[in-house]
Amino acid sequence: MSEQPELLDESVMAMVAARDLPDGAIVNLGLGLPLALSDYIPPDREVLFHSEQGIVGFGARVFDPAEMDPLLMNAGGEPVASAPGMSYMSHDESFAMIRGGHIDVTVLGALQVDAQGNLANAQIPGKPAPGLGGGQDLATCAKQVLVVMRHVAPNGDPKIVERCDMVLTALGCVDRVVTDVGLFEIADGRVTLLEYAPGWTVDQIQAITGAELAVAEDVREIVLI
Amino acid sequence: MINKVVGSFDEAMADVQSGAMIHFGGFANPHNTPNYLIAALARRGADQLTGVSTYAGHGEEVQRELFERRNLEPLPDGWDLGLMAELGRLGKLITSFPNGNSRELLYPFEHVLRRGEAEVEVLGQGSIAERIRCARAGIPAFYTPVGVGTFVAEGKEVREFDGVAHILETALKADFALIRAHRADRFGNLVFRGPRTFNQTMAGAAAVTVAEVDEVVPLGELGPDEIHTPGVYVQRVVVRPSTPLDDWRTPA
Repeated sequence: MSEQPELLDESVMAMVAARDLPDGAIVNLGLGLPLALSDYIPPDREVLFHSEQGIVGFGARVFDPAEMDPLLMNAGGEPVASAPGMSYMSHDESFAMIRGGHIDVTVLGALQVDAQGNLANAQIPGKPAPGLGGGQDLATCAKQVLVVMRHVAPNGDPKIVERCDMVLTALGCVDRVVTDVGLFEIADGRVTLLEYAPGWTVDQIQAITGAELAVAEDVREIVLI
Repeated sequence: MINKVVGSFDEAMADVQSGAMIHFGGFANPHNTPNYLIAALARRGADQLTGVSTYAGHGEEVQRELFERRNLEPLPDGWDLGLMAELGRLGKLITSFPNGNSRELLYPFEHVLRRGEAEVEVLGQGSIAERIRCARAGIPAFYTPVGVGTFVAEGKEVREFDGVAHILETALKADFALIRAHRADRFGNLVFRGPRTFNQTMAGAAAVTVAEVDEVVPLGELGPDEIHTPGVYVQRVVVRPSTPLDDWRTPA
């Protein structure tokens, strides 16, 4: 196999995903790569981050122990900052907010995504049972589902596939996917490459993708601003 | 006179029988977990419990590791549902996270599942929350679009509303709800601190709701505008020790 161009690192993937969140959006961040998004919101934009345990409006992650509030964490248990206008609620209220269609964008990790927009992120290989967390409610009920994941699984299998063969979390829900090689849109049974990581060609991306790729007319290299 | 304040955690857990269904409040953080109620339940010794919890608990070792990774000070008294898993007290768990979310860390309930020693019912977090809320509100069941077409829907009634398929989920009323709050008065009125998690959701969704609190204040000090959960939903209140204990076996 020929030498591959460089993969985007996790913080750049988070920046690409954060770049497209509109001013005023209410956004839930799922476990894994999505948790970093709250660090990358431009100062001129107000995005309200929602977390399942009952928070709307938290800020960036906190790494200095002196500034941590042990009660204020994101869904992955990482300390985050409070922000003006933040509010707390119960779990049932938090999910009424989700189920009721009040979340604009949910950002989720995934094990597999397919051309129909089906999402599989429940059965982590080696774990004794599938885990759903809040992902099933979010994937089913948020207005837009954005997946942030590596393009290829640790064992080399493609994660964007024609048809998921892993335990499904929700059907026909995924709208966009950010991976370490590009940005993709999923609609009408088709996966379309919108932007590619620096150095990558369409053929190189197709070679590590398990579904046939369409290419956007205005396909371009990823830029962060 | 109404006084729901109980003198000890052991007294608050004294009538939990084996086979009981128990709501465990909080959300994957020992700071919002009813640590001392869980320790007292462990001392009580009831087993074959059906637990309802958003996650299966860290247990002491995993919790210490997670806290150290995040530069947080580990707690001497951060007991959670992982303790019940380690002691083999769970016959069944209804949860959204049966595993830890870390590939390399094995949580106590994962060992229990691998040994085939307990049943698990995996359900989305929002459906668990609403099943509990319905128990509090006296609603026997509700339809939700969440889970349609997945393993969660197996064996459940499906009905269309406005052309969208929904599944029927039933209320989850427990025998006991163990929750954590910040302040209480003798009526059992509660004020929470931080995200209110399943602690507020579970209050009133069991025959007996027990609140573990940092402080009980004189009646009237919590004003009607600031009370998050009316005491109607709470049967017992117990105050955490002012100096943390470091062994769950110590009576408290």
